Amino acid sequence: MIHKTSPEIGGMGHSIKRKEDLRFIQGKGNYVDDVHLPGMVYGQLVRSPYAHARLKSVNTEKAKALPGVLAVITGEDLAKANLAWMPTLSYDKQMVLATGKVLFQSQEVAFVVAEDRYTAADAAELVEVEYEELPVLVDPHKALDADAPLLREDREQKDNHIFHWEVGDRQATEQVFQKAAVKASVHAFFPRCHPAPLETCGCVADFSRATGRLTVYLTSQAPHAHRTVFALVGGIPENNIRVISPDIGGGFGNKVPVYPGYVCAIVASLTLGVPVKWIETRSENLQSTGFARDYHMTAEIAADRDGKMQALRVKTLADHGAFNAAAQPTKFPAGLFSICTGSYEYPAAFCEVDGVYTNKAPGGIAYRCSFRVTEAAYLIERVVDVLALELKMDPAEVRRKNFIPPEKFPYKSSLGWTYDSGNYEGAMKVALDKIGYQQLRKEQEEKRKKGELMGIGISSFTEIVGAGPAHSFDILGIKMFDSCEIRIHPTGKAMARMGTKSQGQGHETTYAQIVAQELGIPAADVTIEEGDTDTAPYGLGTYASRSTPTSGAATAIAARKIRDKAKKIAAYLLECNEADLEWEPGKFYVKGAASKSKTIQEIAFAAYTNIPPGLEAGLEAVDYYDPPNLTFPFGTYVCVVDIDKGTGEVKVRRFVAVDDCGNIINPMIVEGQIHGGLTEGLAIAFMQQIDYDESGNVQGGSFMDYLLPTAVETPHWETDKTCTPSPHHPFGAKGVGESPNVGSPAAFVNAVVDALSHLGVKHIDMPITPWKVWKVLQEKGVAA
Amino acid sequence: MALKIEKTFDIPEPVEKVWAILSDPRKVATCVPGAQITKQVDEKTYKGAIKVKVGPSVTDYKGEVQIVRLDAQNHEIEILGKGQDVRGRGSASMKMTGKLRALDNGGTEVTSESEINVIGILAQMGSRVITEVSNIMFGEFVKNFQARLQQPSDAPEAQASGAESTPIDAKSLAWEAAKGLFRGKA
Repeated sequence: MIHKTSPEIGGMGHSIKRKEDLRFIQGKGNYVDDVHLPGMVYGQLVRSPYAHARLKSVNTEKAKALPGVLAVITGEDLAKANLAWMPTLSYDKQMVLATGKVLFQSQEVAFVVAEDRYTAADAAELVEVEYEELPVLVDPHKALDADAPLLREDREQKDNHIFHWEVGDRQATEQVFQKAAVKASVHAFFPRCHPAPLETCGCVADFSRATGRLTVYLTSQAPHAHRTVFALVGGIPENNIRVISPDIGGGFGNKVPVYPGYVCAIVASLTLGVPVKWIETRSENLQSTGFARDYHMTAEIAADRDGKMQALRVKTLADHGAFNAAAQPTKFPAGLFSICTGSYEYPAAFCEVDGVYTNKAPGGIAYRCSFRVTEAAYLIERVVDVLALELKMDPAEVRRKNFIPPEKFPYKSSLGWTYDSGNYEGAMKVALDKIGYQQLRKEQEEKRKKGELMGIGISSFTEIVGAGPAHSFDILGIKMFDSCEIRIHPTGKAMARMGTKSQGQGHETTYAQIVAQELGIPAADVTIEEGDTDTAPYGLGTYASRSTPTSGAATAIAARKIRDKAKKIAAYLLECNEADLEWEPGKFYVKGAASKSKTIQEIAFAAYTNIPPGLEAGLEAVDYYDPPNLTFPFGTYVCVVDIDKGTGEVKVRRFVAVDDCGNIINPMIVEGQIHGGLTEGLAIAFMQQIDYDESGNVQGGSFMDYLLPTAVETPHWETDKTCTPSPHHPFGAKGVGESPNVGSPAAFVNAVVDALSHLGVKHIDMPITPWKVWKVLQEKGVAA
Repeated sequence: MALKIEKTFDIPEPVEKVWAILSDPRKVATCVPGAQITKQVDEKTYKGAIKVKVGPSVTDYKGEVQIVRLDAQNHEIEILGKGQDVRGRGSASMKMTGKLRALDNGGTEVTSESEINVIGILAQMGSRVITEVSNIMFGEFVKNFQARLQQPSDAPEAQASGAESTPIDAKSLAWEAAKGLFRGKA
């Protein structure tokens, strides 16, 4: 257990209010679009209306002639500087501005720069582009057909296949399936969805001809990584690049990739010598930036008659769009999808994924998800319910029979992950008790007799977060450690900087609480700063629930380094041996003589005013933390739905979320994270899809078609927790931001399918719209 | 984005009079809001243009109209139209079948079936908006068509001479479409 500090110190476990909210709720945040520099001009992208077309000509004359227009950049212009293409974060490349042809609707074709936004927008309309339409590939299942149009003519490989990836023991798994008494299978499509952060992407690129320095204000979840990419792609010395990620209005993975708009703004600023601002519109954000999922998955379970699982087999087709621009660790082309064994024990498992190109926007990893864990968790939790149906067994019972038992941790899964700790049955018990599971089953039985439709859905998910150990995790070769630097000022106040970057997670509060916990300096006296690459230590940024597992750990360890030095100073001040000192949060005291003590503030002052001989002045430390393993948060979510037989509308009556993310830094912030993630999960399950018609037109490209949940649609969330600390993390925390988005879709879908299972329904693909449910009700002859 | 639109309406004019207009793309074009025939290529092929403005988005299609089938006996016509936006903002094609039936009251029933395929900026607005826009345009067309019938049959084809056409007054198109949606009109 974590020692709880006083409320004045406000260390771990205190629900202190978020420091950053003071400015956010007053509208005093400082986002990229709030940046106004002298002489700043504005960029606007011209985008392709076609999903696949030969680019015959781009005529910029009329646009250039418009008063106020400063430049129009085309793909051909960039090609002269060898910048028409840029590397993606997955060892593919993508076009910055199109040359030769366009490969998805809304692809970037030209960049107009003008003195003001309105002129830039008007001039973009004047750019005349001549296209010749080409056959469009929308269905990933047809991508590998012999007669499929070849999308990527730039590659040596002349087909639309990106990668084949497999893990596990194919043969052993086959053998189990051949002899299996019971088999369950499901084809589940996790639709393409989009995080739609409140703030769209954008930047201000400011190149100074006087100093030769490039400053980029960027909507970036990973400012250091972006600085390195800009240096590598643009050939600018890295010391001459400063990336500043100011306040970020939600990221969810959408702000990890490098987008063509950033590169164009930088090129324009280098060319014109003035600051260039580029900010996306909402539709540009939805139509062209990092989407999520788009996985067509098949899962099969082989089991005994009594419900004990024997093997798992998973086959997936991954639709990556026109370029493989998924931001993910190098060694994992399908991310961490092989966590698809979930919370269960299988003697054998095999998983394979094929990635293909289609005429859709690139991306493929984003949305509050540790590299495909959402797809994996959804799939396994869905197929376990199908197995329960096959066995005619209660879905909670099937789970209980197959959970990895607490005593088997650390547990090595048959697909190769070593789970750090878990108590799955414990979390499920709390959830089922809280919702009154047995009573609900009785109610369901009675309702079915009356012809009413009610369902209960369980999801006992396991996460895999905190990427990751340097031995297997890197992005473009950069190892996925993260960092913290702490400076204690003479008056005992502190400043700490990290390589991560908050986008609303509350880092300014939670990191300060870690420092408070470790050093006893009140959290209120600790200022946290992230996002400026000139001042913060190098790090890989915030996504994949990695901040607490990596930078959080680095913060604790940097603080402990400071405490070690503070102890030396205290011994000097108290004229005793270090070995005679005891620590309690905020002070060292002499064993057996508690009145002889020095507070951390006194020690800090001495570090600058009364330095022990032989010791360096100052009180600072930096730590680059390479986690020994990932962390594995988990939980059980239970959802109760009622279905209207007249309209097909699904009403979420109750939703209980029991999370276990190990030791908690700030319970209120964790609860807020869970509320937000559940609401996003609700939207994914019932409302959202970025769909494409047969011509490749985006059908979810505005908030008219891509729906966001409001307070009206959102049910009351009931949360609870269990606590199974991570054994390898410095303070036993695991990361939680993504759990609700990862775990909840299966709970919603399982509840809907459970409501209809007695009619023979085994699966319905998301988004489960009223229309989709109504069609099922019609088919089954039960519509009112 | 493919759409199928089927419409039937009655006109209090004899079938032959209606057919005289419907069978001539130059005359029909004068009734389509924002459309014009700019040139006759051959007996069955015409060059034309249509301007559609939905909210802030203007598309200016230029292309060809072709009479695929003309059955004067049964009063049926099949037209194929294809166009590209002049500034590269997308393309559209349409296959329309028009059919006339004499009514007992001396009037004519007009039935039309259109398959429209839209690619680009307009298509992104989604089928709900585009269907509404089509409905509004069709309503305008019927009004114009009836007005055209009131004119003497030898009236000059004003727009066929190449004069600039006015796009449909579309300041209201997006708004009308939105209202249509909220009314739940299909």
